[in-house]
Amino acid sequence: MEYIIYIQRNTELIMEYAQNHFALVLTAIIISLVLWVPVGVLITKNEKWASRVLNIANTIFCIPSLSLFAVMVTIPALGLGRRSALVALVLYAMMPLVRNVYQGVKGVDKSVIEAAKGMGMSSWRILWEIQLPLATPVIFAGFRITVVMTTGIAAIATYIGERNLGRLIAEGLTRFNVEMIIVGALFIAIIAIGLDSLLGYIEKRIVPRGLRTGRS
Amino acid sequence: MIELREVSKVYPGQSAPAVDNLSMTVEKGETCVLVGPSGCGKSTTLRMINRMIDTTAGTILIDGKDIRQSDPDKLRMDIGYVIQQIGLLPHRSVAENIAIVPRLHGWPKDRIKKRVDELLTLIGLDPEESRHKFPSQLSGGQMQRVGVARAMAVDPPIMLMDEPFGAVDPIARNHLQDEFLRLQKEMKKTICFVTHDINEAIKMGDRIAIFSAGQLVQYGTPQEILSKPTNDFVKDFIGLDRVVKILSLFHVKDVARRTICTAGESELPNVAGKMRDLGADTCFVLDNGGRAAGFITWEDIAKHGDSAASETMQQIVAGRKKAFVQELVLLRDALSLMLELDTEHLGVMDGNRITGAISLRDIRKHASKKEGE
Amino acid sequence: MNWARMQDALVHRAPEALSVHLLMVVITIGIAVAIALPLGVILTRPRYKKLSMIVMNVMNLLQTVPGLAVIALVMPFLGLGLKPTIVALSVQGLLPIARNTIAGIYAVGPDVKEAALGMGMSHRQILYEVELPLAMPIILAGIRTSTVYVVSVGTLAAYIGGGGLGDLIVTGLAMFWTEFLLVGAGLGALLAIVLDRTLAYVEFRITPPGLGS
Repeated sequence: MEYIIYIQRNTELIMEYAQNHFALVLTAIIISLVLWVPVGVLITKNEKWASRVLNIANTIFCIPSLSLFAVMVTIPALGLGRRSALVALVLYAMMPLVRNVYQGVKGVDKSVIEAAKGMGMSSWRILWEIQLPLATPVIFAGFRITVVMTTGIAAIATYIGERNLGRLIAEGLTRFNVEMIIVGALFIAIIAIGLDSLLGYIEKRIVPRGLRTGRS
Repeated sequence: MIELREVSKVYPGQSAPAVDNLSMTVEKGETCVLVGPSGCGKSTTLRMINRMIDTTAGTILIDGKDIRQSDPDKLRMDIGYVIQQIGLLPHRSVAENIAIVPRLHGWPKDRIKKRVDELLTLIGLDPEESRHKFPSQLSGGQMQRVGVARAMAVDPPIMLMDEPFGAVDPIARNHLQDEFLRLQKEMKKTICFVTHDINEAIKMGDRIAIFSAGQLVQYGTPQEILSKPTNDFVKDFIGLDRVVKILSLFHVKDVARRTICTAGESELPNVAGKMRDLGADTCFVLDNGGRAAGFITWEDIAKHGDSAASETMQQIVAGRKKAFVQELVLLRDALSLMLELDTEHLGVMDGNRITGAISLRDIRKHASKKEGE
Repeated sequence: MNWARMQDALVHRAPEALSVHLLMVVITIGIAVAIALPLGVILTRPRYKKLSMIVMNVMNLLQTVPGLAVIALVMPFLGLGLKPTIVALSVQGLLPIARNTIAGIYAVGPDVKEAALGMGMSHRQILYEVELPLAMPIILAGIRTSTVYVVSVGTLAAYIGGGGLGDLIVTGLAMFWTEFLLVGAGLGALLAIVLDRTLAYVEFRITPPGLGS
């Protein structure tokens, strides 16, 4: 009950935080997609580069989020605030996006590629008409992981000056305000789960029909 | 016509060439089967023809033109290609799969649609029913048919087939082979066909090329290969039943004796005379409906005498009720039937019509004659 | 760069922070494995097959709860300090392990189990001699994911008095001392990467040849 009262009393603040949270997540995701999907596709053409890039992505992914945010802050061009947060989030997204695009494209049945090549399809045409469509389930899985993860990590950006839902938790912790913590945690969890389910729904519609018929 | 001149292929990191100084010619309209144990270079050879693999040395000419002069994609668009795993695009319908190459050629939509329906009918699938299906909804045999139809979509003069029927069960394979032979009779395409199954090679090939360790060991018609294997490798590869395999190159109609004599059941006592008059050594006995109930051979008469009791004769006739084969049956299968029925004579029929007779001796003679040729 | 502060961070603060952090990770992963492994094994027994699907879904859902929320949510119930942190991290940390245990055991081909059964092995023997060894690379991958996760979220423990490398970062952020930030963040990153690589190596070593992942 007290949570509802808290939400009612602070609707405006929560809405502002939620908006900021969304804006940060959305921007990070868009930049990540524009950046990492092409990288994932490109490295399918060269094994050596693939292992290098994937290694870098893996290593970045290991870095604790608070650490990465903290390091970003020390870079003068970034400083406290949105720019640091964005860079860190985009760096985290590298691993699930690049890896899944790479694995998705590489995982396409070799015989399908062989047959397409044998019919005279150019390698870009094969990529565009066969490999990418067939990789959609795997790519989408990576996309979902990215969205959920970014939503969660974005909350931590509150410690480097972002005014988002993470702030409810942070302030709740310093003020020992349980309602604030729970409402903050709840909202972030709801956004993450909501986005995940939404993407799950979109995934079902976007996956090529021939890949689904077997299951229906 | 496909011409290979001193073609070699060495894969990077390997010392022994996968294909070693190979020269051979596949004539226009012929089916050439490349056969050999795995790793003998037959697939590599096939894949060099449409530049899926590039040659290390030597020249490949198609209709006199060096394949290296064409853009690989353009080259492949004009050569049908079927592989064992088929490789249908799982996210495209059957019709879309068949339409790939016509689309690459930039055919107008209605022409593509017409061609797709034509091909579906040709391979025995109902266009209305199967056009919109996805590959996952087809059986293995149907998928392979679609794969063949896809390769034939723009009616390419040349088809390359890499163990095309290797992944389907034996019954479906037999069926696909027969169907393909029927199609090829009309299409007269130049076909290179890879298999490791010598029986398939004998059945499908106008010519057979036997490979071993990257080299062409023997190249010739099935009959040449079977009757004159150049060395022990070929002999072993063909197997101990080499001569029986020769029999599978011929049909009963090639050997059957055509002098026919028929008699009603009531005429049994006079059969010997009748046969003597006609100079026939087999006399078919018809039942009241005019159908063949069995037959009497000259040997029966020699054994039981001219005037054997008609019951004995009747028994002999009745015992041969099943001893008939169709003209188009392979000699090998006719032989098998003789062994099964423990008889040395079979009646030959074309549909319901009696057209001749065949004996174990005929087959034996034919086999030894062909073996000696 | 203030050298005195750098020295302070490196010499006086870092050793303790690092050992607390490591201790936190080791205990958490120990607890998580102790719970998740048996849980995963039980859920893959035929009897609980239906239940395992439900549990998997619930775990997938719980996995989406952000790290900061996990740490924060335990405070109202268990208070401040290292112990509540470990509890929170163990709960979240066991999810990848349990999930991979289930996935790993399910991934063992039915023909292998059939063959083992046909040779007269008991179900218990099949579990210990066939299923677990074959699933081990995948289980270890889960432990690795979990370890990296715990190192990462463990830095947030500083906000509920759990200590660890997060302390340095929090101080650094509050005072904007670059030296503290770099030492705390750097060691955190290093710890995560070293543990990840070590576990990756173990994973590689125990994967039987020919069972490449």
